[in-house]
Amino acid sequence: MSEALKVLTANDLAGGQVVFLSEAGWSDRYADAVIFDDAAAADAALEAARAATLTLADPYLIDVAAVDGLPVPTSYRERIRALGPTIHPDMGPQADGGVLVHALQQARGAARSSGRLGLIRRK
Amino acid sequence: MLIRLENDHFHTVEDRFTAVDDDAALTGDGAVLLSLTRFEADGAALLAAGRDVGVRIGPADRIEALAPVLPSLALVALEFPKYRDGRAYSSAVLLRERYGFDGEVRAVGDVQIDQAWNMVRCGFDAFETTVGPNAWAAAARRYRHVYQASADNRAPAFVERARVVRDAVATVG
Amino acid sequence: MFHYDAIDTAMVADRNAEFRDQVQRRLSGDLTEDQFKPLRLMNGLYLQLHSYMLRVAIPYGALTSAKMRALAHVARRWDKGYGHFTTRQNVQFHWIRLSDTPDVLDYLATAELHAIQTSGNCIRNTTSDPFAGAAAEEVDDPRVWSEVIRQWSTFHPEFTYLPRKFKIAVTASPQDRTAARAHDIGLVLRRNRDGRLGFEVIVGGGMGRTPYIGSTIREHLPAEHLLSYLTAILRVYNRFGRRDNLYKARIKILVASLGAAEFASQVDAEWDAMDRPRLDLPDIELARIRASFGLVPFRTMPPRSERFEAARSDPAFARFARNNVVPHKIPGYGIVQVSLKGIGEVPGDCSADQMEVLADLAERHGHGEIRVTHEQNLVLPHVPLDEVPALHAGLAAAGLATPNINLVSDMIACPGLDYCALANARAIPVAQAISRTFADPARAERIGELKIKISGCINACGHHHVGHIGILGVDKKGEEFYQLTLGGSGAEDAAIGHVLGPALGADKVADAIDKLVEAYLAIRQPDERFLDTYRRTGVGPFKAAVYPDAHQA
Repeated sequence: MSEALKVLTANDLAGGQVVFLSEAGWSDRYADAVIFDDAAAADAALEAARAATLTLADPYLIDVAAVDGLPVPTSYRERIRALGPTIHPDMGPQADGGVLVHALQQARGAARSSGRLGLIRRK
Repeated sequence: MLIRLENDHFHTVEDRFTAVDDDAALTGDGAVLLSLTRFEADGAALLAAGRDVGVRIGPADRIEALAPVLPSLALVALEFPKYRDGRAYSSAVLLRERYGFDGEVRAVGDVQIDQAWNMVRCGFDAFETTVGPNAWAAAARRYRHVYQASADNRAPAFVERARVVRDAVATVG
Repeated sequence: MFHYDAIDTAMVADRNAEFRDQVQRRLSGDLTEDQFKPLRLMNGLYLQLHSYMLRVAIPYGALTSAKMRALAHVARRWDKGYGHFTTRQNVQFHWIRLSDTPDVLDYLATAELHAIQTSGNCIRNTTSDPFAGAAAEEVDDPRVWSEVIRQWSTFHPEFTYLPRKFKIAVTASPQDRTAARAHDIGLVLRRNRDGRLGFEVIVGGGMGRTPYIGSTIREHLPAEHLLSYLTAILRVYNRFGRRDNLYKARIKILVASLGAAEFASQVDAEWDAMDRPRLDLPDIELARIRASFGLVPFRTMPPRSERFEAARSDPAFARFARNNVVPHKIPGYGIVQVSLKGIGEVPGDCSADQMEVLADLAERHGHGEIRVTHEQNLVLPHVPLDEVPALHAGLAAAGLATPNINLVSDMIACPGLDYCALANARAIPVAQAISRTFADPARAERIGELKIKISGCINACGHHHVGHIGILGVDKKGEEFYQLTLGGSGAEDAAIGHVLGPALGADKVADAIDKLVEAYLAIRQPDERFLDTYRRTGVGPFKAAVYPDAHQA
């Protein structure tokens, strides 16, 4: 049985770049994102983000699946948003590379969980 | 707060009109503001009694319906249910340009400072808003020039330009 | 070239001051995002998938070398070194910071550029013919009338909060290079039998989820009444267009629900009741605008250029000359089209370096003028044929000499899900795959004119409905799929395409296009374009090529 995993995202108000809620505040890197497996905690974080209107625009929660132990957004839209334009691998967060960026780039279609998350960054 | 535009001057005024709901009783002898429906029922009697009457028009109401009684009205209030709903601008222009209405045309509802110049240009001269009169005046006058003729009778750019040409010709002459 | 006078300069400066104030109010918390969004959109600033995007207007698609250099500077200083030319004669910068935007706009204003009304539910930038002033067959210069409309529609107090966005196109040639019949209003300039200038007024075209080809509501509106008549159309639309449903709010839905005849009679009733002389442009202002475009100092030259003809011995130049250069109204000149559809590249993208090369080349060979087309290409409208070989060499050195105008790889594609927050699927990678499939220029020429248009969602920014082959990206159970349509056209023979069959997976699209093309080559008659063959034969042979296993209907 798969868990309902969530990540909280928004755009930075002044800069516009995609940001994710991390343990240390808002980060430009999806790899830093806190993975919520508790719906109430995720909703509470979303409410707090909605109140942060001076720094954020359009916060929302995205669904994440545990693919080979890594948290991968289930929709291709959210994967592209987390990576940057697929036509310019040198632009956006994907330019930094790394295991998670690679996992997102490899995912196809609607990602489904294949076992549990191997990481400890769960809330 | 109610801001009036009078003699090119924006200032705060007390609202002398009492808004009367469709099912509320009519009392007192002051000026009243009615919906179009209520006006159709009771307007004639109120006017006959010498009361000042205003009508509140929703965005979907046809301003044409008011045409026959406009000369007897003191106020037409045009509703902005959301500030993105721009129908009331056309209603205001028609009131001023087509029907020559010279009473108060009031903007009510979602009235934001960013609409001040649109409203003034379309012929509104009263604004129910939380914005202060100085800020409102500054926003309404933000544009030093205008490109098109509208109900405020400001000279559009093409008239300004023609004037420059005419003056130049006069100087040469 | 047209230049701002003191009034135009003040208008843009006042708008930029207002926008700077609005941005400041948002950043300080005086405006909520919900309040700010329509205000920023009205000045072309979107929040897209990865960043803010600023859409800058290029009125009637006319740039000068100076303006092009200003765009290059914006790309380099505030973006990631490139810009994207759109189907609406705008240029988009995809990586702009909100906090930088007021400075970007002030800088653009120094080059007489702006982002006014490039989005929002208002009257947008007017589309015009990129060959204006150069095409032999035009009856008048459509830029003059586009400038008349630009001024009238800028900060129009009554028409800033319309039910939905509103797009006008002006063309003055029999060949329509503006997609006029797919606009909210298409204006086709003509002279009547008495020689009087007037507009065929076409209303209610558009794409999106309910595509329509516009209906003619007036055959010949005397040109001098353009502004009062436009006011009448917009007033009827502003009052009676639907506001309860975003997808039914365009004027096309109003025209379709009333019927074109009833809509026309409502417009006429409004127009008859107006004080037209107050609204219509006086002759003196029209003359001023006409004069402000100035005269290009054309030289007197023989119609045939020996240098141009001699250069044809180079096959690459010969191919460029055949596909990218068209006749000019002045003997000895050519109209040179610059493709932004390099094989495997992003349709419409142009780097800052390329913009500067183009600015230099236009100055050297083309009277400093550059035009933007709705098909996401550029045009140097006035080039002496003698200088085309040198221009070609300069373009080739910058990767801008792709000889594919109107050919299969000259595709329109919207930014799609690589950039756009509304998209359902990517469009650019599909264009790139098709482009590589047809990389052989000789084969592309054999195929001839073929317009492929790709949209990443039903909003149809990629004009797929009017593509000879249209491609629409959809999300099917979490996968990108693409639906093909055939038989559309955005030109003077405008038509909406028909769906070919079930949507295809992303990796199947280029191959399907290849099969459609082979089917066409097998059955075409002499001088038939792909579109003509489709119209003659119907969908049968094309459907069989892509879906061979489907049962006969």
